[in-house]
Amino acid sequence: MKTVRNVVCPFCGSLCDDIEVDIEDNRVVKVRKGCAISATKFTKYNEERIYKPRIDGREVSLEEAINEAVEILANAKYPALYGWSCTSTEAINIGIEIAELVGGVMDNTASVCHGPTILGEQDAGISTCTLGQVKNRAELIIYWGCNPAHAHPRHMARYSAASRGRFVKGRKERTVIVVDVRKTHTAKTADIFIQIKPNSDFELLTALRWAVKNGELEQEEIAGIPAEKIEELADMLISCRFGALFFGLGLTMSAGKARNIEAAVNLVRELNNYTKFVMVPMRGHFNVTGANEVMAWATGFPFAVDFSRGYPFYNPGDTTFVDVLTRGDCDAALIVASDPVSGFPAEAIRNLAKIPVITLDPHETLTTMISKVVIPTAVVGIEAEGSAYRMDAVPLRLKKLVEPPPGILSDEEVLKMILKKLKERVK
Amino acid sequence: MGEITLKPKVTFKVPIIAETITPDNFAGKPIEEIEKLEMWEGNRKTTLGDLFEAAGSSGEAPADTKIIIEGDVRKVRRIGYKMTDGQILIKGSVGMYLGEKMEGGKIIVEGDADSWVGAGMKGGQIEIKGNAGDYVGAPYRGDTKGMKKGTIIIHGNAGNEVGCWMRGGTIIVKGNAGLFPGIHMKKGTILVEGDCAGRCGAMMKGGKIAILGYVPSVLPSFTFEEIKKSFKVKGEKIKGPFYLFTGDLNENGAGKLYVSTEKNKHLQFYEKYLE
Amino acid sequence: MELLIKNGYVYDPINEINGEKMDIAVKDGKIVESVSSDAKVIDATNMLVMPGGVDIHSHIAGSKVNSGRILRPEDHYKDVKPRTAITRAEVGHTVPSTYTIGYRYARLGYTTVIEAASPPLKTRHTHEELNDIPLIDKSCYLVLDNNWIVLDYLSQGEIDKCAAFIGWIFKALKGYAIKIVNPGGVELWGWGKNVESLDDQVPPFDITPREIIRGLCKINKMLNLPHTIHLHTNNLGKPGNYRTTIETMDTVSDLADGKPNIHITHVQFCGYGGDSWITLRSGAPEIAKYVNNHNHVTIDLGQVVFGDATTMTGDGPFQFILQNLTGNKWKNADVEAEGSAGIVPYKYKRKNFVNAVQWTIGLELALLIKDPWRVFLTTDHPNAGTFMKYPRVITWLMSKVAREKVLNKINKRAKKRSTLPSIDREYTFYEIAIITRAATAKALNLANKGHLGVGADADIAIYNINPMEIDPSKEYKKVRRALKRAAYTIKGGEIIVKDGEIVKSFIGETFWVKPAIPEDLEKDMLREVSEKFKEYYTVSLENYIIGENELASSKPIAVKTNL
Repeated sequence: MKTVRNVVCPFCGSLCDDIEVDIEDNRVVKVRKGCAISATKFTKYNEERIYKPRIDGREVSLEEAINEAVEILANAKYPALYGWSCTSTEAINIGIEIAELVGGVMDNTASVCHGPTILGEQDAGISTCTLGQVKNRAELIIYWGCNPAHAHPRHMARYSAASRGRFVKGRKERTVIVVDVRKTHTAKTADIFIQIKPNSDFELLTALRWAVKNGELEQEEIAGIPAEKIEELADMLISCRFGALFFGLGLTMSAGKARNIEAAVNLVRELNNYTKFVMVPMRGHFNVTGANEVMAWATGFPFAVDFSRGYPFYNPGDTTFVDVLTRGDCDAALIVASDPVSGFPAEAIRNLAKIPVITLDPHETLTTMISKVVIPTAVVGIEAEGSAYRMDAVPLRLKKLVEPPPGILSDEEVLKMILKKLKERVK
Repeated sequence: MGEITLKPKVTFKVPIIAETITPDNFAGKPIEEIEKLEMWEGNRKTTLGDLFEAAGSSGEAPADTKIIIEGDVRKVRRIGYKMTDGQILIKGSVGMYLGEKMEGGKIIVEGDADSWVGAGMKGGQIEIKGNAGDYVGAPYRGDTKGMKKGTIIIHGNAGNEVGCWMRGGTIIVKGNAGLFPGIHMKKGTILVEGDCAGRCGAMMKGGKIAILGYVPSVLPSFTFEEIKKSFKVKGEKIKGPFYLFTGDLNENGAGKLYVSTEKNKHLQFYEKYLE
Repeated sequence: MELLIKNGYVYDPINEINGEKMDIAVKDGKIVESVSSDAKVIDATNMLVMPGGVDIHSHIAGSKVNSGRILRPEDHYKDVKPRTAITRAEVGHTVPSTYTIGYRYARLGYTTVIEAASPPLKTRHTHEELNDIPLIDKSCYLVLDNNWIVLDYLSQGEIDKCAAFIGWIFKALKGYAIKIVNPGGVELWGWGKNVESLDDQVPPFDITPREIIRGLCKINKMLNLPHTIHLHTNNLGKPGNYRTTIETMDTVSDLADGKPNIHITHVQFCGYGGDSWITLRSGAPEIAKYVNNHNHVTIDLGQVVFGDATTMTGDGPFQFILQNLTGNKWKNADVEAEGSAGIVPYKYKRKNFVNAVQWTIGLELALLIKDPWRVFLTTDHPNAGTFMKYPRVITWLMSKVAREKVLNKINKRAKKRSTLPSIDREYTFYEIAIITRAATAKALNLANKGHLGVGADADIAIYNINPMEIDPSKEYKKVRRALKRAAYTIKGGEIIVKDGEIVKSFIGETFWVKPAIPEDLEKDMLREVSEKFKEYYTVSLENYIIGENELASSKPIAVKTNL
């Protein structure tokens, strides 16, 4: 038996890098330090595995599956390549070149989670930081529309509310505020809980900014919160030495989406005239941030890039996969490390079922069920190495702990084979 | 006036980029040359003639060229791109970016139009008989150059962010509007004759917005000024009375927001600031 | 593979070759004495031949640059080019994609470029982007002056351990030189504050900017690093800051031993006289005077070019001031225990008084500093303009007429206040070769770059212009056109550009320094550092280290230290 230390956990955007894993007979037998989700994923990654490539449900050789994938992509007039948030940056990078070569739409799952964060940033910017800055300095922490107690279980202990930093030593030295539509587990641990009326985040953020600017609130109540309470809150934000706002899908997906983020950005920007304030998105999948980073450096745009005319064109709402699919525009799809069928709107799924789909995934999913070509791949961070970016864009190296099942390659390797064949085919 | 009629040869599946369909590109050209104009069908470069049946003859100049499009062109994008004069009549519904960066002339759509109608428009007129999608007159992401001049009239409903980053011109929505009409607006006029989903004029710095129907609320960064009897659009008086607000104060803005008093009794509490 | 470049007019200042008509022989990626008759011949008759350009300061890779790309989609829409059989799709403009950066530098005849500021914690990201920049050789500076471990050691007077830590960090993260960005000020930005002078305290570290600069300058020497400390001053972007700049230079003058020991970067941004934006004037004459009298300093320009730019620096508090001045969108990104970064889009306008003064300062510096070996051409890409504008800047330096043409269009008050109209100096091609390749290679101590002597890397730029016939002073437009699109760029002996088009693409090397540190000292230091890591950082020390296998083409440079 051997123990591997400082393993980077390939499950959520927190990318905790202190996991200890015991390995025996090419199997993970024990996980220490990780949260419950992490422990389950590390030990049960072999459940629901796919072991053989398939075409139309028939088991085939890897070569046959790749040839079929190449034919589909090369013949398509408007293929879409989607997913990418649970694989390595290297694999995504190859996906980008495939998209460029076949003239497809390259999009990642940010378009259905924190895409609005990026759009808000593109209109207003963002004052942000790495998580250690919060750990070392933040006296006041707001969780807005996010529930780390469930979605990012070690976030509060390692990086935020209860973390121990150089200047701020722990939970007792911090004020924690939760803004949400219901009293979540995170809210129960907060010093202040602000229960906001659903879909009124934009109004509250706007009122807070106006109150920070010392403006008068003419309405008695905004977003279900009395004006005096908003003014009180504004004073608190101004008075801390360092404040941090963490936000999740409760903000990015409530009415207004990107504009909610823009309003939060503007509030934080305003606060920086009085004190130090930052905000950090609570990214979900472990490498969705990496997908945005590598797409940006290779194409100029972080998601939703349309290569149909050979160069990158970007316009979320048009070039986002969920919209492309809902309009029924694409005629083939390559899905990597994602399961859109389990979360997309019904119309989009109906359209996906009508076109040839190629899916790369270690596991059986709803998407593999409707795919024409399925190619099983290794679990990144357990059976394959590669880089990944934490929610705050800190890059880390995922480790290979065990060998994948016989004949199973990584996403990166399979995509390289597809790219190579495509280059020969497209020429 | 010369007239050219275009009919799709097949039902389109993938997006068609048809920025060459403008009176400017058609004027003075025989049909054979018009058929050679470049288009994109998804990732394939193709020609107008491959995708459309073209008939008729164009005028000498854009001004006397009218393009009539029959059939389903909901997948066809960028019709009227940068057109300077002449007319386009679409006898059905049309795809995204209709009249993008248009400078003059007129486009009429008998059906619906998808998002980004008149994106970054600089002049001319667009009339949509049905509904329009989101971002009417808006620029692309990150850009601040919204509609500058011209008129867009939507007889049905419009989606979110009508007149986003608007710098001038007029937008009239005869039906209802979604969230954020006039967001980031600097100049120009937006009239919504129906109801509005709210957040009118968010982050606006200037310009005028009038809502004749219901709005759920006015943003807290707007201040109530007075009750006004009427509102003017293109010289025409629209009768109120209206609550008049100024904002967005968060942006040190001086935009004017007119909201019907009659349809918005729930805003009556503002009247206490009148004395 | 062999190449023979025949009959070109060669400018190779390191070997004191000044426009001599000669042949250059290339074999296996190096310059050689002679080649066989099988060599491919490039006819360079009536052409200008120089070593490949070496850019000492440009923001090309890493978290900050990529944040700029993400922040500014509007920057890219109009500047795109489809994929070809050889090249990836291109997308610009002020913050181009990695591929675009490689192709565009190559088209200018540049073959080596250094990323100017990489925060250690995000240097893995920097390398991932460098891996994707084709054609050119590259490296990165590591920002170390607001690093808590460095500050702890310096304030405790543990200079040996501090040197060992910095030596180790170069090995661990694969960087090239010590970058200093607003020392002390950026740490205080962690609380939304800044320093105002070299002697302000930086609590709780009990240290001043002056002590940080001196400490790192000493360590640079102890480690025997190839480049000097590379410094972005305190008070950058503030009227009157030329005094801080001179004081900064002077604070290490006593540590010098006849060679440069400090490089002040993008001096245009820290060369301001006056005491407000209204009374702003150029501080270039004073700075030039100091540099002319002290040989321990090198500088680069940070020349402003009118038009679009994206300001991006590790100087968080400066970027905060700029966003307040402009109202433009603003990204701030602090890095735990290490520093910060800020990005604000910017447009330099001729008629704007401040922008016009900025434009004059860079040119005055270049023209008033007598020794071209100590003043280098940069635009601090993309802060004062993109690197694509280098040919334009070169013509301003070579032609008084070209300068006057711009002077007549700029803000009148700025023109009136400037000494630029009274300066007659015009650079020669030899001097241009110095400030764009020879001197930068020398300052970086890259023995095989920046010259065409036997044994040098065969990185060569050939421009379609006859230096014997042309009068750059009058025909500056011809010079600009020729420099924009190299007739040939040769990298490592391979022809990569022909007539301004990319004809071949591959990945160049990433070089980094590997200082030898005494084992015991390193062990002691690492024991302490691993404890501090647990407290300061949110990643483990093991995962902070970047493996050599993470670099696409790694080129370590071993360094003997004085530890």
